[in-house]
Formats: sequence, structure tokens, C-alpha cells
Amino acid sequence: MRPARFSKALTAGLAVGALALTACGAGGDDATNGGDSGAEGGTEAGTGSASDANVNIGMFAVPANLDYTTTGGAAVFEALLYNVYEGLVRLDADGEVQPLLAESWEISDDGTEYTFQLQEGVTFHDGTEFNADIVKFSLERLDEWSANTPEMLSAVESVEVVDDHEVTVMLSEPDYDALFWLAGPLGTMFAPDSVDDLATEANGTGPFEFVTYENAVRMELARNDDYWGEAAGVAGVELTYFEDASAAANAIRTGGVDAILRSEAFDQFESFEAEEDIEVHVGSSQGVVVMSMNQEHEALAEPEVRRAIHTAIDKEAVLAAATAGYGEILGGPSVPTDPYFTDFSGTYEYDPAAAEEMLASAGAEDVSLTFNVPNRSYAEASAQVIQDNLEDVGIEVDLQTQEFPAVWVEENMVNQDFDLAIINHVEPRNMANYANPDYYWGYDSAQAQDLFDQAAAATDDDEYVSTMEELTEVIVEDSPGAWLYNPPNVGLTTEGISGLPLNDLGVGIDLSDVTVSE
Amino acid sequence: MLLNALRRLGIFALTVVVASVVVFFLLGILPGDPARAQLGLQASEEDVQALREQLGVDRALPVRYLEWITGFFTGDMGISYASRSPVAPQVLDALQVTLLLVLGGIGVAILIALPLGILAAVRHHRPDGTLFSTISQLGISIPNFLAGLLLIAVFAVTLGWLPSGGWAPPEAGVDFLRHLALPALALGLVNGAILARYTRAAVLEVMREDFMRTARAKGLKPGAALMRHGLRNALVPVVTVTSIEFANLIIGAVVIETVFVIPGLGSTLIRAVANRDLVMIQSIVMCVVILVLLANLLVDLVRPLIDPRLRNAS
Repeated sequence: MRPARFSKALTAGLAVGALALTACGAGGDDATNGGDSGAEGGTEAGTGSASDANVNIGMFAVPANLDYTTTGGAAVFEALLYNVYEGLVRLDADGEVQPLLAESWEISDDGTEYTFQLQEGVTFHDGTEFNADIVKFSLERLDEWSANTPEMLSAVESVEVVDDHEVTVMLSEPDYDALFWLAGPLGTMFAPDSVDDLATEANGTGPFEFVTYENAVRMELARNDDYWGEAAGVAGVELTYFEDASAAANAIRTGGVDAILRSEAFDQFESFEAEEDIEVHVGSSQGVVVMSMNQEHEALAEPEVRRAIHTAIDKEAVLAAATAGYGEILGGPSVPTDPYFTDFSGTYEYDPAAAEEMLASAGAEDVSLTFNVPNRSYAEASAQVIQDNLEDVGIEVDLQTQEFPAVWVEENMVNQDFDLAIINHVEPRNMANYANPDYYWGYDSAQAQDLFDQAAAATDDDEYVSTMEELTEVIVEDSPGAWLYNPPNVGLTTEGISGLPLNDLGVGIDLSDVTVSE
Repeated sequence: MLLNALRRLGIFALTVVVASVVVFFLLGILPGDPARAQLGLQASEEDVQALREQLGVDRALPVRYLEWITGFFTGDMGISYASRSPVAPQVLDALQVTLLLVLGGIGVAILIALPLGILAAVRHHRPDGTLFSTISQLGISIPNFLAGLLLIAVFAVTLGWLPSGGWAPPEAGVDFLRHLALPALALGLVNGAILARYTRAAVLEVMREDFMRTARAKGLKPGAALMRHGLRNALVPVVTVTSIEFANLIIGAVVIETVFVIPGLGSTLIRAVANRDLVMIQSIVMCVVILVLLANLLVDLVRPLIDPRLRNAS
């Protein structure tokens, strides 16, 4: 055998190897089968009626476990609340409080007694009957919560069982927001026998039963056929968890998932919008991306300097860098879905010349600031724009990237060791933190605290809204931070998928209205 | 021979113990609080402290080390801070996935390296030999995550032949192979290219040996001489490099798992670091350390079997 033929044999071997590899693919070039892990759970659009369909939804933020009473972050309750778990009330798509396990309620004139009439004939998925005792058990258990802001319902003092289907929740002081918080994770109704296994099991009264959660990979929910209300539109939901926005984008393009929620692949939305079989839905979130200014710093203690910094930031450029322009420019601490939202985007309009004058009039010279930035792309992109903007008006900025959450939270929220610090505050109705002088941004205004208490004590909507509007104005005037933008809530759906909520209201993602057509 | 094997085992055991101490105490000084990582941004300091006590992270490091290491070697790796369930099954599941991926990667690497390397050697100084060398040089310069992204773009998104990510267990048969193909290819391409260069060098070296000339003189054709006398000699350095590459492949798998959304050790480790799930991190890192050491041990023990001369060397 001559060398030439020997090499031919090897070349042929290589070719066979290559063929063998592609053969794996040739077996299934049907894109709808190209599912992700557990392709069985994928949509089988076109086979059977809509109600037999399953839907596979790509999600980000991965639940560490299933217990949102002791695990922070929205990932867990977003998946379970309104689907597996329910509370007395819920938020509808417009953010209004609506009945759920309570069919109606009355509030005493002094705003301290909430009497709920409960739905009858409701059972938990394990068969436990839902009644007034469950309400008492669940709300009095708030003391045992350590995550997801149980202090927001600290006004709940006790729960009195009137009869099987009527309970009165007693507040120690009036709290206008109590119903709002009861509509969120804090209002979840738990069966007493289930609370020991909250991290691994989920037993609720909702339209879906919890089937399984493969840690950080996927969660499966199945329609509860004995649901007390209107049955869910799909037979099953599979939530597939991604840690990388591009991986999720590839999955929806290849049929691995039918929809994606909370997508942050901002650079790809334009190309998705051009694709016929994928729809892009841009809603709003509860997020406020805010750059806090620590008043312990000599220059930042001066309100005029903080306002100057606010004025020096080109928020359009920040938005373009952080989200490719999706989302709303803020200027104030409230978000568009808040009932008291006021548009402050024009209050500190970008004007470097004016900012320089303000700095000069405040006597701020040679200001040098450290800026703590979590290692998240939106924050790093925003911080770079802000650094440029501030250097244009003569403020030197030293960017410090810190791992989020572990290091950033410790350094900034706990140790308060920062001059500037940026973060997306995703928790809804965040205004309470401006009435708390111990919060990391250290905003201590007696006027703001009074107004907040006054709003909490309000018993009618108009009074609440007008007081909260007044409060936001005070906060914006004092500028303890620069409120940059409200990130968009972007969902992507493939053809035939509808009924996913557009806005992120900081509660559960209601999947019961999702349908698959064709 | 036996003495040598025992000596190797002794070194292996000692390295494992030293590695466990280093891993544990390095993680001990990692900034960030596991309790706060669990409870989130808004948690009160009292709740964080209570959880710290509950998790036991407020105790002295040496106490925690002894508890962990005795547990680790008796199969009880503790309870994950994040998932609140036992660490061992989670690590073993992820380990199985990563091992399959790495073995797939090694398979791809060898399939590429042997033919390419031998061809490049046999045909050196000829245009096609130079072409094979260039191909392997090109392969070395592509980072494996980029290879992964390119493979996804071509075979999943454009052609739609293979899934863009995810994982199926081996029981799933064809579905398993479909999910394994792209990540194994991404992982194996670069290492295959590196291995091809070593193979080429080793074969070239062997071809210059006296015994090869003798074999030719006895009337064997070049191909037959290489197959019968040359390859076995050329394999020794190739096997050694493969074991070193094994460590690289495990580290490469960390990145590839993220690109392909594969629930292996890498993605589990990254998440555990973000959650400051210390027991999970320690156990995963230890598993990787042991795997790499085992691979090296295996090669040390296997090499004398390939090359009898090594049996007497020590």
C-alpha cells in the first residue's frame, strides 16, 4: 500500500465520522420535535383541542427551591402564585385588587378591620378543605416568613374566625396597602399539613397542581380538574429555566419552547420582530433602576449636588445602552402601573451645562466618587454611560464591579459602603423604603415619613393617591437617588399561544388563561 | 510494578486530602454571606442571623471542615443551603451528565486527532499534510464556547437538525444522542485539534526511529510498518496528553454546559457560587479534583501496559 492510498483510507474514515454525526440530526429534522430537555412536554399544537394542549415556557431567574416564605427573589412565587397557590384576593392585569378565595370583603370605617366572605367548596390539591381556619393559620404564620418582605403586612395583628366562611383580619393600625400585599405572595393560603415541605412540594388551591421541579432545569404543572373556578386553558405547563438569554432565544427559534417570559435578550428583539412566527410583547415591570447617592459623602450630602448629578445623566443614552431603548425613562421612584404614578421624566432633563452651574453654585469642586456596580449587563452598561456623563461635568467616577447578589448586597445594602450604587429594584410599591431612614440609601426626611404614614392611614382611594403623589414629589425634589428607567417586561410567543400576562405586577404569573390555538 | 502502583495510590490519597483542605478554606474566605444570598435583598439582619445559625455557617471553620470531609467520604455531603435537599444526589446527577459530555468530547477529540495527526505526519512536506496541520492550528485558536455558538447557529437555528440546547438522559436513546452531539462536538473540536498536533509530532518522531527503518528494510510497506510497529510507540505521549486534556475538558464543560443549557456540574457550580451554597460548591469542586486525579492515576497505571519499557523505568 502506498502512502497516498493510506491517507485516502483515513480521509474516508473522517468523512464517515462526519456522516455519523449528522445522521444523529437527520433522524429528527422536524423542528417541533427539537424540544429541550423533556421534549415530551413541548407544545403539540395542531394535535387535539386547545384544552388538551401543553405549553412550554422559557423563564429566567431560577428558583433555588419552592419555599418563597424563606427564599428571596421573585422566581419562586412568580411560578407558583395564582397557578398552584392562591390568596384571598388577587391583582388583575391592570393591577386592580379582585376577589379570589374571598368572594367579597368589607373594611371598617377606621380601616383596621377587614371582613372577608370566603368561597365555599374550595379544597387544596391534597383534599384539605379551605375555610376560615386556613386563613387564620396562613396569615398568623407571617411571623415565620424571613423573605419577600413580610414586614409589609406587619400591621396584621390577628385573625378572627367568624364562621367557616367568614373571617376578620384585625390590623394594629390602618394600612391602605394591606389588600395589595394580600394579593401578592404574602397573602398565600397554605394547608397546615404542608408547611413542613414547602421547599420541595407545593400544595395549593389553584388551577394547576404542582407536578415536579427538577432543580434549575424545569418545573411541571398540570391542570387541576377539580378547580373551584374556571378551569385552566391548557392541560399542562412546563417552565424551562434558562440562565442565558441567547440560549433561550435559540430555543424559541428551534421550537424548544413555545414562549419566553421576562426575556432580556434586548439585542435580539429587533430580529424577533422581523420574524413572522414569533411575536414580541413589550409590557411594563415593577422595576426601578436607581442609582443611589450616599449622603454620608460630603458632596452628596448637599441636595443641589444630587440634583445636579441627576441633571447630568443622559437617561436616553442609559436606556439605549442598557435595554436597546425598550422600557420607560423614569426620573421618579414610581412605575407606570402604580396608581399614584407621576411622570417625572422631564424634571431633571439632561443638561450638562445646567448641571455644571448647579455644581458650581453648590460649591462642589474636585468631586471624586466610587460607583458600585453589580455584575449584571444592564447595570454595567448604564454605569459606563453615567461615568462618561459625570466626567463631562467634572466629577470623577471610579467604577467598581461587584458580584451580584452575594458581594453587592453585602457591600451596599448591609455595610452601606458606597458613594454611588446602581440596582434594579424589582419589588412593587417600593415607596416604603423612602420612609425608612435605615434603608441603604439613607434617605431621612421627616416630611416624607409623615406623608407615607398619612397615605397608609388613608381609607379612600383619592386620599391615598393624592398623598402618595405628594410624597413622590418630595422625594424627587430631594433626589436621594437618580431614577433612571423602568425596565420592560418582554414576552415572546410563537404562533397560536395567547393569554400570557403582558405586565409584571410583582405577583404570580397567571398561566390559567393561556391557550394554544390551531 | 506493584510497588510503583502503590506509590501512585499513596500520592493520589495525599493530594485528595490536601486539595480538600485548600478548597474548604479558600471558600471560607469567599466574600458574600450564604444566609443573605438565600433571603434576598430585603431581608432583615435578624432573619439573616437566624438563618446563619440554622445553617451552621457561624461556627468555626475547622469544625465545619471536619464535619464536611467525614460526611463527604461517607456519602453524606450535607444539605444544600439553596435547594434544602441533600447535596449528594444532586451532585451525582450532575456528575453523570458532565461525565457523559466529557466522554463524548474525548470521543470526538480522538476521532479527529488520530486521523488528522497521522495524516499530517505521513504527508508532511506535502501540500495536503500542510493543509491538515493548518486545520488543526485553526481548531486550536477557536475557543470552545464560540465553537458552541457557531454550531448552534448552523445545526440548530438554521438547519434545524439538532436541538439548540437541553439534555436527555441516556435512556432516551436517539434523543440522548441528538442532545449530546453538538455540545460534545463543541467540546471535542478544540481538544481534538490540540491532540492532533501531539499525534503528528509523536508519529513523526517514531517514523525517524531505527526500528522503523529496520521494518522497512525487512520489506514492510510504510503504512504497514507504521501500523504494526510505529503507532504503539507513538501512542504513549498521546495517551499522556489525553489525560491532561481530560482536565481541560471538564473545565471546558463548565462553559459548554452554560451555552447548551445542560444540567451538569458546571452549570450547577456556577449557580451554587451565585447562591453561596457552600456545601454544594465544596462537594462539586472536590468531585472535579478527584476526577482529574483519577484520570492522571489511570494514565500512570496504563502507560506501562502500552510501553513495556516503562515497566522497568521506575
